[in-house]
Amino acid sequence: MGSGRLRLPWLLLASYVFYGWWNPFYLGLIFYSTLLDYWIVAWMDQCHQGDWPENRSGGWRAFLFLHLKNRGLNQALWCGRLLLIGATCGLSLGPSSLRALATLMCLLGFTMIWAATRQDRRSWLWASMLNNLSLLFYFKYADFFIENANFLMDRLGLGYQWPPAASWMPLGMEYMLPVGISFYTFQSMSYTLDFYRGQLGREHSFLRFATYVSFFPQLVAGPIERASSLLPQLARPKKLQAKAFAEGSSIFLVGLFKKLALANYLSFYVERVYEMPETQAAPALAMATVAFAWQIYFDFSGYTDMARGIARIMGYELMLNFNHPYLATSLGDFWARWHISLSTWFRDYVYIPLGGNRKGPILGATYLLITFLASAIWHGAAWTFVIWGLMHAVGTLFNRLLERQKWFQEKVPTMLRRIIVFGFVCLAWIFFRAESVADAWLILSKLVQGNWQDPQIPWLMVALILAVWSYQWVQQSPWRAWTQTGPFKVCAVIIMLLWLCFFSSSGGAFIYFQF
Amino acid sequence: MKHSSTPVNQPGMRAQKEGTRCTQGLVLSGRQWILVIMSLCLTMWMIPIGWQGLETFDPEESYRIPYAASRDYWLYERYVNQPHDEPRVYFVGDSVVWGEYVSKEGTWTHWLNDHSQGEPRFVNLALNGLYPLALEGLLEHYAKELHHAQVLLHCNLLWMSSPQADLSDPKEQVFNHPMLVPQWEPQLPSYHATIETRLSRLVGNHWSWLAWIRHLQIHYWDQKDPYQWTLMDDGRYPPTYPNHRSFPWQAIDWQLEQEPSPDPDRGLESPRHKPWSELGEGTQRYDWVPLSQSLQWAAFQRICQRMVERDNALMVIIGPFNQHMLHPDHRPTFKAYEQEIIQWFRDQGIAHLAPPTLPSHQYGDASHPLQPGYRMLAQQLWEAPDFQQWIKPLKR
Repeated sequence: MGSGRLRLPWLLLASYVFYGWWNPFYLGLIFYSTLLDYWIVAWMDQCHQGDWPENRSGGWRAFLFLHLKNRGLNQALWCGRLLLIGATCGLSLGPSSLRALATLMCLLGFTMIWAATRQDRRSWLWASMLNNLSLLFYFKYADFFIENANFLMDRLGLGYQWPPAASWMPLGMEYMLPVGISFYTFQSMSYTLDFYRGQLGREHSFLRFATYVSFFPQLVAGPIERASSLLPQLARPKKLQAKAFAEGSSIFLVGLFKKLALANYLSFYVERVYEMPETQAAPALAMATVAFAWQIYFDFSGYTDMARGIARIMGYELMLNFNHPYLATSLGDFWARWHISLSTWFRDYVYIPLGGNRKGPILGATYLLITFLASAIWHGAAWTFVIWGLMHAVGTLFNRLLERQKWFQEKVPTMLRRIIVFGFVCLAWIFFRAESVADAWLILSKLVQGNWQDPQIPWLMVALILAVWSYQWVQQSPWRAWTQTGPFKVCAVIIMLLWLCFFSSSGGAFIYFQF
Repeated sequence: MKHSSTPVNQPGMRAQKEGTRCTQGLVLSGRQWILVIMSLCLTMWMIPIGWQGLETFDPEESYRIPYAASRDYWLYERYVNQPHDEPRVYFVGDSVVWGEYVSKEGTWTHWLNDHSQGEPRFVNLALNGLYPLALEGLLEHYAKELHHAQVLLHCNLLWMSSPQADLSDPKEQVFNHPMLVPQWEPQLPSYHATIETRLSRLVGNHWSWLAWIRHLQIHYWDQKDPYQWTLMDDGRYPPTYPNHRSFPWQAIDWQLEQEPSPDPDRGLESPRHKPWSELGEGTQRYDWVPLSQSLQWAAFQRICQRMVERDNALMVIIGPFNQHMLHPDHRPTFKAYEQEIIQWFRDQGIAHLAPPTLPSHQYGDASHPLQPGYRMLAQQLWEAPDFQQWIKPLKR
C-alpha cells in the first residue's frame, strides 16, 4: 500500500477518520477549506498574471449578465451566482438555524462572482483569504469580538446587544472550537499564497491536495507544513523502509517521553499554583512560571515529535518545529527556534510581504509589531495573548537595539544572554498562561513583592528540568559527539522506556489542541 | 499525465532539510532498536524476579494480604508461590474468608490453624471484595502455581443475591477488581469500560512487569504513581506537600507494608466489630438471580472445573449465609436456592460442606461472621467427618 494506488486514498481516509472521531460534523469544515483552496487555485490558474486584463468587467450588470470566454472562469461565475441566489433565498426564507451557513455561502458566492468578473489572480487570492479567515474568525474569535462589542455598545448607551456566536450554529449544532482549525486553515492558505506568488505549480490531483491539508500526523497541532514541501512528497511513491521506521520510532519515542513523562508531570504543579494565584507566594509563582515554560515546550514539541515520528515511519519528512528554544541567545533567536513552522509562516506571508526591514527602522518595527500581534491573535482571542504578543514584539525590538551595541556584543557572555532571554520568555508566559489579565497582573505584583515561602515544588521536577536543560546544552556544545555514541543512545532509550513504565502520568490533552 | 505541484522557489525548503534532523540527537538505527528491545525484555523479566530476593517477605502463619494491598496481585502471586516444607491447605475466597471485621488473629484460617497445630497449615489466600468473576481472573493469571494442592474454596451466595451483585444489571457500576473480570467474553452488562481500558487491563494481566510496578505503587508510594506521590498533599488546608523533597526511590525500604496493629477498622476493639442487629429480626428480601442466568455462578462453576483440571483436591464451603437477616417468608426461597447449588456440587462429585447458620449475634452483616463466629465455623469444619477425610492425606 505504501507505493500502490491505494496509498493516498488510504491516507486521506485515515486522516478523515482521525479527525472525524472527535466530531464528525466538523469534517465538513476541513473539506470546505480543502475544496475552496483547490478550486480557487484552479480558477486563479485561468487568470492572467499581474494586473487586471483589459477586458475585465465591473459593475452590477456584470454580476448578472456577463458571460466570460474562459470556460473555467465562466463556470466559477455561474457557480457564484447560483450560490449567491440560493444563499440569499436561504437567508430570507429559510429557518434561522441556517443563517450562519447561508451567510457563509453568500460571502463565497459574492467573492466568486467578484473575482471571476475581475479575472485576476489577486481577486481570487482575496476570495480565498476572506473565506478561510471568516471561518476561522467565526469559530475562534466571534465570541471575543461580540463580547467586546457588546461591552462597548453598553458603555456608549446603545440599546443593542449582539447574540452569542453559538446562536448562529446551523441545525442546533454545538458551538465549539474545531480542533486544529488554525493549523489546517493556515496550511491550506499557504498553498494558495505560494501559487499566487508563483512559487508553486498548481496541484491537479484533488486527492493529493486533500491529503496534504488533512495529513493526520500533523493535522491537529502542526507543524504547519508548506505545500512546496509536503505535496511533492505525497506525489512520490513510498516504500516502508527499516531505516525510516527506526528513525521515526526514535523521534516518536522522544515526543512520547516529553508528553507523558515531563509535560504531564509539570502540569500538575503549574495547575496547582495558577489555579489560585492569590493564595500563592512569590517563590511558588516563580517556580510555576518556569515549570510552565517547560511544560508548554515539552507538550507542544512532544506532539510535534510524535507527528514527525509517525510521518517518518510512513516515509514522509515533516519540518523541524522546535530547536532547543530555551538555549536562544536573543529573542529573535528564540523565535527562530520556537514553533518554527508558525513563525516562518508569519515571516513569509505577513512580515516580508508587508515590507520587512526594507523600508526603514520605523516601518520595520511597525511591521514586526503587526506580525507579532497577528501571531498572538492566532493563538487565541484573549487580551492575555495580545499582551503576550506585544511583550515579545517590544522585547525583540529592544533586543535588536542591544545587539547593535558594541559593549553588549563583547562583554555579555552567551550564558548570561541565554538566562536573560529565558527570563523574559518566562515573564511573557505569565500572560499566556494566566486565566485573565487581572490574574497575570496579580502574579506579577506578587512576584515583585517577594514574601518568601517554600514553593513546595517537587525536587524530582527540578532535577528533571535541570537534567533536560543540561542535556540540551550538551547537544549544542562540542561534547555532543559523546552523546552520539551507540552505547549512550541505547542506554538513554532504555532508561526513557523504563521511566515511562514507572512515571508516565495520566494528564490532560495537548495544550496546542486549543489553538 | 498532468503535471503535479512544481516547487519553484520553496519557502519551506530550509525547514524540510532540517526535517531529517532530530534535535535531541536520539536517533537509533534498526540494530540499536533490536538491542534496546532485547535489553528491555531481559530487564522486565529479570527485575521482578530479582526483586523477590531483595524485598523481605516472610509471611507468618496468620498472614493475609493487607486490605490496602487488595489490588496487589503481584504480591498475591508471590504469596501463592511461597516455598514451604509443611503441608498446606489454601483457603481461597472473598472477604468472608479474609475476615472483614476481624484482625488477622481472628480469621477462619487462624482458628483452623489453631485446631491443626500447623499440620496442615491453612493459608488465607483470600482478597477483599473478590467475587467469583474476579476470582476466576485472579486464579487464571496470578495463581498459576496453584495445582496439585489442597484447595478450600468459599462460595458466597451474596454475589448472586441481586442483578447488581451479579453484575448482570445493565446499569453501569463501579466495582472492585475490574482488572480481573473478563474484559470481553462473557460480557458483563454492568461493566462499561472503554476499549482502551479493557485492552490495558488485558495486557496488564499478562505482563507481570506491570503487576510488579503496581506492587511498588501500592506499597511504597501510597497507591499512587511516583509523580503523584511527590505531589501528594496532607489533606489539610492550607495544604502542605510532605513528599516534595523526597525522590520516589527514597521511599523504597524493602519492607512490605504490614497490617496496622491495632487496626481501628478491624478486631474485637473496633467499633465495626458488632452484631448486625441487636434484635436479630430479619426483614431482608433478595432478588436472587436464577442460577441458569447468573454470571457469578457461571464463573464459580468454571473456577471449580479449572481447579479440578489442575489436579487440586478441591472442597467447597458454602456460606454460611446470615439467614437471620432474611424475612421469614423469604427463607424457603433461599433454602431452595442453596439446595440447587448443593445439588450441582453433588452432581459434579465435588467435595462440599454447607455449615449450619451461625447464631444471629455472630454475624456482622449478611455474610461476614464476627470473631466468635469464625471460631465456631472452624470448629464445625474441623469436626466434620467429610472434612477430616478430605485433609487426611496431609496429616502425618
